[in-house]
Amino acid sequence: MTAATTRTAPPDNDVLWARSLHYAHGGTPALAGVSLGVAQGEILAVTGPRGSGKTTLLKCLSGQLLPHQGEVWFNSGPVHTLSTGARERLRRDRFGWIGTRPELVPELTAWENVALPLLLAGETHRAARRRAVEWLERLDAGGIARCRPAALPQDQRQRVAIARALVAGPDVVFADEPTAPLRRAEGAQALRTLVAAARSHGMSVVLTGPADDAAVTGAADRTFPLVDGRRASGARAGAAQAAGYGDGGAGAGAAGRAGANGTAGAAENWEDPCSVSA
Amino acid sequence: MLSLRLARGSHPLVLLRRLLVACASAGVGFLLLSALGHASPEQLLWCAAPLAATVQFAVAVARTDPHAKPSPGLSSAGFGPAAAPAVAAVTTAVSCLLGSALALLFFLHLRGDLSGLPFDGAAAALLGAGGPLPVVGALTLLACVPALAAAASAASLRPRRTAAQGSAAAAARLRARREAADAAGTAVDVPHPGGAAGDDPPVPADLPWGTALATTGLALGAYAGSFAGAGDRAALKLPLPGGSGDAAPAVVASWALIAAGLILAGPGIVHLCGRLLCALRPGALRLLAGRVLQQEARRVGRPLGALCAVATGGVLCTLVWPDGDGARSLGPLTLLGAALVVFCALATVGMAALEAKRARTRTTTALLRLGASPRLLRRAALLRTAVLLAVFTPLAAALGELAALPLR
Repeated sequence: MTAATTRTAPPDNDVLWARSLHYAHGGTPALAGVSLGVAQGEILAVTGPRGSGKTTLLKCLSGQLLPHQGEVWFNSGPVHTLSTGARERLRRDRFGWIGTRPELVPELTAWENVALPLLLAGETHRAARRRAVEWLERLDAGGIARCRPAALPQDQRQRVAIARALVAGPDVVFADEPTAPLRRAEGAQALRTLVAAARSHGMSVVLTGPADDAAVTGAADRTFPLVDGRRASGARAGAAQAAGYGDGGAGAGAAGRAGANGTAGAAENWEDPCSVSA
Repeated sequence: MLSLRLARGSHPLVLLRRLLVACASAGVGFLLLSALGHASPEQLLWCAAPLAATVQFAVAVARTDPHAKPSPGLSSAGFGPAAAPAVAAVTTAVSCLLGSALALLFFLHLRGDLSGLPFDGAAAALLGAGGPLPVVGALTLLACVPALAAAASAASLRPRRTAAQGSAAAAARLRARREAADAAGTAVDVPHPGGAAGDDPPVPADLPWGTALATTGLALGAYAGSFAGAGDRAALKLPLPGGSGDAAPAVVASWALIAAGLILAGPGIVHLCGRLLCALRPGALRLLAGRVLQQEARRVGRPLGALCAVATGGVLCTLVWPDGDGARSLGPLTLLGAALVVFCALATVGMAALEAKRARTRTTTALLRLGASPRLLRRAALLRTAVLLAVFTPLAAALGELAALPLR
């Protein structure tokens, strides 16, 4: 468990920032000194083979796991020192999560699943329902609002999961291999839906996928290749590749951020967020 | 052998549950042997209640066993869902056989047939010592619990078409309809699984049948009671356990019908409790509590119905038991039987709740990932418990009052 350090806060234009993250699952290292930053409105793809630590990295960034070493900052506030309850509130109010599987609550209908984050935040039933149905319609899933997950095909379930992640207007959406359970065409469509919705609302997205998945790397402003819990050498800090994915409005700023591969000109002791700590 | 090897490596809590099954089986075996010792068919008839409760408990324990659904490791080794019922049956049979063997030893010892140990023959009169004990009859009775429990466990865990498979087929049909509609340029209606109610899943179909059975039982009891009240004293009477009097067979049959009706109606009642919780624009707490109750109605409804039937029996006993000068003690065998029934009914509800919790592990993880606090989930569980208590307690009290009317 990392204690609070006296480091200077990360750059202002990074909505999410992590430094030298280490994590091990029962003695097996999953992350070995990963650092990265995500700018406001940026779509970042963390790519790598199975077992490279992508999911663990996303869980550390979203506050589901506390890194054994290293720091995670969100909007210039430390996440790694927050209490369990505060991290729950952060996940509920500021983050969205899309899992490898849709992970819907089977007892609830599609609109109830989408409205759940709002209801958990204390919004009234009527307002939560209205916003949930709006989001479902925005994602072309309005017709299934009253269906239960078991009665829906997988692509529709994933669409509901995307709506659930976006409905509370999060600052950052984490998508852990969102196209994994889908066929290629359905996966590309789901990814387009997610990216377009995130761009139009100025949300940052951190998504994971295999390195050879063109749909994932093509949808992202920047890729962050991960191998064996470290950033792979020769990483492609690509230019904005958002052509065809959303309106690109927010992506412009993200593209500028993406090319920098880190944020220069911050505090004196600032380290390249994408550098690898040995 | 695989069952024994799996059992040997089980968690201590799993072993404790199996030990409890063995204890319950021992209790029933002891009661059956006592009835045989007295050569009393009436006493044997009353053993049906603890026997049924023990079998239900053994099935519930088998369903919560970690190997009820084979792990990926076992599946990779070729131990799939088809083999799970066999392992469950063997494990349950071994637990119950252990209990039966213990029952036989205790029975013979307390009866005085085994000498040289303390308390040798301490309950000789109570257990009908002096007369011969038919060996074949004793072994047959002792084999009842293991055989019934093993068969019921295997039947309960047999592979069947799951809801997920059914829904996958429904989804495939929907997709085909959509494609056909797209090709024809027409719209297709998406079916709502909730039917007319929309957001609510359908109520289990057993509710009307259960209600009909329970009301038939009440009517039969009242009818038989009115005949008894008319002075038909020469009719056949069944002695009640513990020497608390006697009752006409029709009255006893009415109690059985009421119990069966409650067990059958349990899932429907639980489902309606869930619907009640979700009514009128629920927040997250009521929505989660209610919908989970609706979803788990089938799993926890029957054990709750059985527990409600036991509570009804308890109310009935307190009402018909002679008080004042006529009061007598229950007797150790009646106490043992009553304790067995109550323990098994309570433990079965606990096992069903555990099974439901296990089945929802993935959903709980997803909810926590969404930011739902564990406190909210605990409050939802408490709310579910409170609503079930608020509904089932008055129901048991009212049915107990009505069932006692023929004996007053």
